[in-house]
Amino acid sequence: MNYRKHPQLIEKLAAEYVLGTLRSRARTRFARLMLEDAAVRRSVLEWETMLTPMTVAVAERQPPQRLWRAIAARIAPSIAPAQVRTSIWDSLGFWRNLGLAATACTVALVTAGLLRQPEVLQVPMVLEVPSKQRQESYVATLTDKSGKVVAVAYAARNSNELWVRRVDLAPGSGHAHELWALPAEKGAAPRSLGIIPAGDKGTLLLASAADQSLRDVPALAISLEPPDGSKTGLPTGPVLASGPCLKFW
Amino acid sequence: MCCGSTAVTKPQVRGSRMAIDSSQNDQLKALLAACARRDQPAFKSLYELTSSKLFGVALRILKREDWAEEVLQECYVSIWNHAAGYSAGLSAPMTWMTSIVRNRCLDWLRRPRTELTFADNEDGSHPLDAVASGDPGPLEALTRNSDAQALGGCLSRLEAKQRQAVMLAFYDGLSHSELAAQMQQPLGTVKTWVRRGLERLKGCLAGMGTA
Repeated sequence: MNYRKHPQLIEKLAAEYVLGTLRSRARTRFARLMLEDAAVRRSVLEWETMLTPMTVAVAERQPPQRLWRAIAARIAPSIAPAQVRTSIWDSLGFWRNLGLAATACTVALVTAGLLRQPEVLQVPMVLEVPSKQRQESYVATLTDKSGKVVAVAYAARNSNELWVRRVDLAPGSGHAHELWALPAEKGAAPRSLGIIPAGDKGTLLLASAADQSLRDVPALAISLEPPDGSKTGLPTGPVLASGPCLKFW
Repeated sequence: MCCGSTAVTKPQVRGSRMAIDSSQNDQLKALLAACARRDQPAFKSLYELTSSKLFGVALRILKREDWAEEVLQECYVSIWNHAAGYSAGLSAPMTWMTSIVRNRCLDWLRRPRTELTFADNEDGSHPLDAVASGDPGPLEALTRNSDAQALGGCLSRLEAKQRQAVMLAFYDGLSHSELAAQMQQPLGTVKTWVRRGLERLKGCLAGMGTA
């Protein structure tokens, strides 16, 4: 159906999307529509503005202290209370924020095992990578919520082969691990890059060279899906890991 | 996993810390702008000002503390990552953040195979009692708050069943079919209540010059 010709339908769906009554598939479909159509986004915004004041009647509840610690550790571990560093070269935050590309490249070129404990990563390890091996590339280290490295993805800039290495992600017969390119725009839908092959490492074929298909992708993520992958075109299972997709050149 | 202490209590307004007045709005906007510049202390302040409210919202929808924590963690990371995308001209900061949280909660609930179960309140009452047609709880709270007064007034003018359906859906994250089951009514009837309720709500708010 061409929704653009049915503004009333968009209005109805926007209201119910915001209210929350749409079922899984309808919700996913509508979320996709939001990406494509500014009028749909406006309608959603209007309903959010109208209905959100209802939350003033919801009782506040102080979350446990560990929640902030977990968030702080994810956005920049250097602001977590325990992380007091004397030098930027020692700062985990520095590496997560600025050096992740180098870190991931090290993983791709040297060894994945080291990154199980990012704390032990040392500067020389990165700097010792011979420059001729530092091919211009896109790299992502995908970590789970605790910061543990689950997988590494790497694609040379001009290649459409995305190399994925399972670091701590056991394949299973009853499910699949699907890799997603997250959208640059808030609220946009992720794009499937395919099912991660079962072996320790494997390649996925990108639709076009990495320079095109990953250029605007801020991060990659892995979700748990049925054996043949998501049937909706969007992640349906829990997200197991994610990490920024960085240009390394 | 779902224990008594995580059960949802009746909606209520507790304290005025999160009364979303204009000075608080300005403060939150300034903090979000600072977050967009990767100002980590500002992010911590933002968290301290908003996390109790947003945790309450998540808990109300998800009914489980562990889920609410997990979702809220994602939401704050997302708020940090997307602070630059927040546009003060489009929505109030609390509306923007609350929408992120509600959407994540709803996505979480709509995952395949997630079954929504209701835990009884500690006092033995069913959580849904809180929005039963005769219960003034949330409505009263809304009309007492200047930001929600218009909405509360318009909600109170809906037919009881429409109001109940809209409020159950909003507060508890029920889908149409879950609403039908909870209200013990045919799906079509409940859908109509929701649709008409929303239409009237919009008409009413527009008439009051707030929409």
